[in-house]
Amino acid sequence: MTCEILERKRAGIINPIFTCQPCGAQYASIGIRNCIGIVHGGQGCVMFVRLLFSQHFKESFELASTSLHEDGAVFGALNRVEEAVDVLLMRYPDVKVVPIISTCATEVIGDDIDGVVRKLNEGLLQEKFAGREVHLIPIHTPSFVGSMISGYDIAVRDFVSFFAKKDKPVNKINLITGWVNPGDVSALKHLLQVMDIEANLLFEIENFDAPLMPHGNTVAHGDTTIDDLRNTANAVGTIALNRYEGGKAAEYLQKEFGVPAVIGPTPIGIRNTDTLLKHLSDMTGKPIPESLVHERGIALDALTDIVHMFLADKRVAIYANPDLAIGLAEFCMDLEMLPVLILLGDDNVNYASDKRISALKEQAFFDMEIVTNADLWELEDRIKNKGLKLDLILGHSKGRFVSIDYGIPMVRVGFPVYDRAGIYRNPVLGYQGATYLAETMANTIFTDMEYKKNKEWILNVW
Amino acid sequence: MPYHLFKCSECIPEREKHAVIKGKGEDISMALPLGYLNTIPGTISERGCAYCGAKHVIGTPMKDVIHLSHGPVGCTYDTWQTKRYISDNDNFQLKYTFASDMKEKHIVFGAEQLLKKNILDAFAAFPNIKRMTIYQTCASALIGDDINALADEIMEENPDVDIFVCNSPGFGGPSQSGGHHKINIAWINQKVGTVDPKIDADYVINYVGEYNIQGDQEVMMDYFKRMGIYVLSTFTGNGSYDDLRAMHKAHLNVLECARSAEYICNELRVRYGIPRMDIDGFGFEPLSASLRKISLFFGIEERALAIIDTETARWKPELDWYKARLMHKKVCLWPGGSKLWHWANAIHEEMGVDVVSVYTKFGHQGDMEKGISRCEEGALAIDDPNELEGLEAMETLQPDIIFTGKRPGEVAKKIRVPYLNAHAYHNGPWKGFEGWVRFARDIYNGIYSPIHQLSLLDISKDEIPTDQGFVTNRMLSDANLSEEVRNDPNLHPYTGNYDNVSHLRNKKYPEFPRAEKDTSVA
Repeated sequence: MTCEILERKRAGIINPIFTCQPCGAQYASIGIRNCIGIVHGGQGCVMFVRLLFSQHFKESFELASTSLHEDGAVFGALNRVEEAVDVLLMRYPDVKVVPIISTCATEVIGDDIDGVVRKLNEGLLQEKFAGREVHLIPIHTPSFVGSMISGYDIAVRDFVSFFAKKDKPVNKINLITGWVNPGDVSALKHLLQVMDIEANLLFEIENFDAPLMPHGNTVAHGDTTIDDLRNTANAVGTIALNRYEGGKAAEYLQKEFGVPAVIGPTPIGIRNTDTLLKHLSDMTGKPIPESLVHERGIALDALTDIVHMFLADKRVAIYANPDLAIGLAEFCMDLEMLPVLILLGDDNVNYASDKRISALKEQAFFDMEIVTNADLWELEDRIKNKGLKLDLILGHSKGRFVSIDYGIPMVRVGFPVYDRAGIYRNPVLGYQGATYLAETMANTIFTDMEYKKNKEWILNVW
Repeated sequence: MPYHLFKCSECIPEREKHAVIKGKGEDISMALPLGYLNTIPGTISERGCAYCGAKHVIGTPMKDVIHLSHGPVGCTYDTWQTKRYISDNDNFQLKYTFASDMKEKHIVFGAEQLLKKNILDAFAAFPNIKRMTIYQTCASALIGDDINALADEIMEENPDVDIFVCNSPGFGGPSQSGGHHKINIAWINQKVGTVDPKIDADYVINYVGEYNIQGDQEVMMDYFKRMGIYVLSTFTGNGSYDDLRAMHKAHLNVLECARSAEYICNELRVRYGIPRMDIDGFGFEPLSASLRKISLFFGIEERALAIIDTETARWKPELDWYKARLMHKKVCLWPGGSKLWHWANAIHEEMGVDVVSVYTKFGHQGDMEKGISRCEEGALAIDDPNELEGLEAMETLQPDIIFTGKRPGEVAKKIRVPYLNAHAYHNGPWKGFEGWVRFARDIYNGIYSPIHQLSLLDISKDEIPTDQGFVTNRMLSDANLSEEVRNDPNLHPYTGNYDNVSHLRNKKYPEFPRAEKDTSVA
């Protein structure tokens, strides 16, 4: 009965869990209002990321490319950055924020995007766009370092460090959500509202679930403003829900402006949500209201209906963004489930010293494996060749074939989910998220029992 | 045929020559949009890269192969599970994707040893798969790894494996089209002629430029088999690596998507003297003509005619049911490269819709020539469209439906234009006689969706109809039809199954007597 922390030993990746850094930077950039990112690289680095976002959200997001071609690869392509900025600004008069996001190709050829931003600031923006508020922000996200997770983390920090400016104190907190869905943002805003707390939300992406209206064009967009970003320096404190997606920005604000930072835990499950509320209360002096005791009670009531009767001892594999994966594993422990395999899809060295992982390691009373730098073959190989028995998989759609081929029920969580409808609308955070997750896991197991005529199938009734 | 400059593109006047409006009595000799030129940076074009053109479009539909991309993980991840090229071997090529996972140290010190270990580990994980394709990416191209030399070394050490290398980095060329070209040429240079199977058949073809989207290839294979034609290989949908090494043994190359795969046909003609025949699996008339052409080539016309008669009798009444209800509906035909001309005329003639606009993301001028020739007067043709131009065109043209990619489809949705997925289809396959009816059915369901109608109602201003608990697409489509058409006993909507492909995999075909003159020795 041990928990082992392993690392993928194979040289290559078979069925990746994460994509590369520029995707994370692009995801951060679509969270800002009047922002269109320009990705400096081949066109595929944008086209496919836009497709991925549209597969997940069933919405289209605007992101531009410098369209790197051979000549640029040989002679340098900074002229294409200049042209892209010019063309974008001319045609999108509302755009104010333009991150210049690098890729593997343009990092290898050594294009100096910081230099070209300086040049554009002194030249083009003064000459042609004088009087217009435009912010060009170089973001270095070479694809051969980290993953989409670190790309997101870097981009959030770069946006914050670019805009944050000391001014008179603002009675708000910074809430850095990490890589979440619109449903999570709604759940978080609900908690803030009943706690009577105002926040600079990084990022306000509730409108990623955009309506179809009888008139006009309601494109999905982020709503975090330049002012929100500026005021991060003047906030009461920062709560970053995720260590690996926004933690860097929280640390930056603490170091640079003395804004106290609380990083984590990801509010998945009752216990972590309690902790978040405690942090919110401590930071703002606002009490936790009776209505949240009530809301928490409804969640606990729902969980009690299913936990020891149906969920206990179910063996679960989890792959997802790292904070999400860890949060889900913690919640599974509370639900008496056995998270036997946790896959973290990149080589971030900080996982080894993550206290949440250490706690799992110390307290696992069953065989648990945590694999870093993992791919989905780490999951399938264990099932196919090494006798791993599972009752449930928690993960995103890229791993769907493992569930389908080995007949293991699966609950879709995280990003991307493109084989189920509307998942982005459901929160996994907060008490609402806890209820949604636990009930969805239970219902998924029930359906599976019925299809397979599993031992208990006739017993999945109250 | 005047050039058309979009309002949104007035500040980039070079775009003017990328769009034309087909005027009355005009033809393509009067003007033709520019094509296949580098994209203007920052326009938010819809184009992809040459890596995806090679790997994602053409390479990966090959079904019995480990598809490994040499580079950082993103190229592999991003092109994985975004297209519907199924196969009859349990979809190995869709389920598994491989990345060499290049990191910073490899950029600095080279990644060849990493790649070697990758190759061996991948084969070890799948001991039954002995074939591999390796795709260069931007990163591995720029650091100059010699993938071909490494592949040769591995093949020498492991005689049971065979590896194909495609050097088509993302930055190679204006769009994915550059990658189509590179992988065509790489395949014929490296692999064609490296196996020499004994073929015991009278009529042998390669089926080229067909990617088995939702089962297209399998539908067409059914016709070929019913004609007693032996399909030696398919390039590449549902295709087998070793079959494609023997492409030189065919009597005829039957080419479907000329945009992505004419290169290999042209080379097969030059190097092996195999004729190229362009065909069309979309539309009753084009498909019938195609089957007849192929059969005439082999002198077995009666076999094609028998299929055409049977299939037309079976499916035409269903197609015509939809045609009666789709008359003069306005369509923006906005696919990637070749479907603008595969579909432009056929959907007008056979489904009654009017093509008010064609565009191509990565097509060349040749595709525009064919597309513009086949679409209606007044149609707007756009090369390498971008987000704002697409929106402006839709606002101006007010189409009833657009056929485009998944993401641009979301753009259309927001201005209340229904879309069908032109690349991967809604409920395909759309090739074949039955498939064409399925396409018409999908168009009909899109245009006459009661939910779509609801999206046009502004409950804050408009009169809210309170007398209807529901509306059906039939109520919408038949409201203005004449009694005669509505009740035509000869016409009826689609009656096929949800899955019209799987049953073909176990189907038994008649044996044809061998031709008197044995042509099997090629």
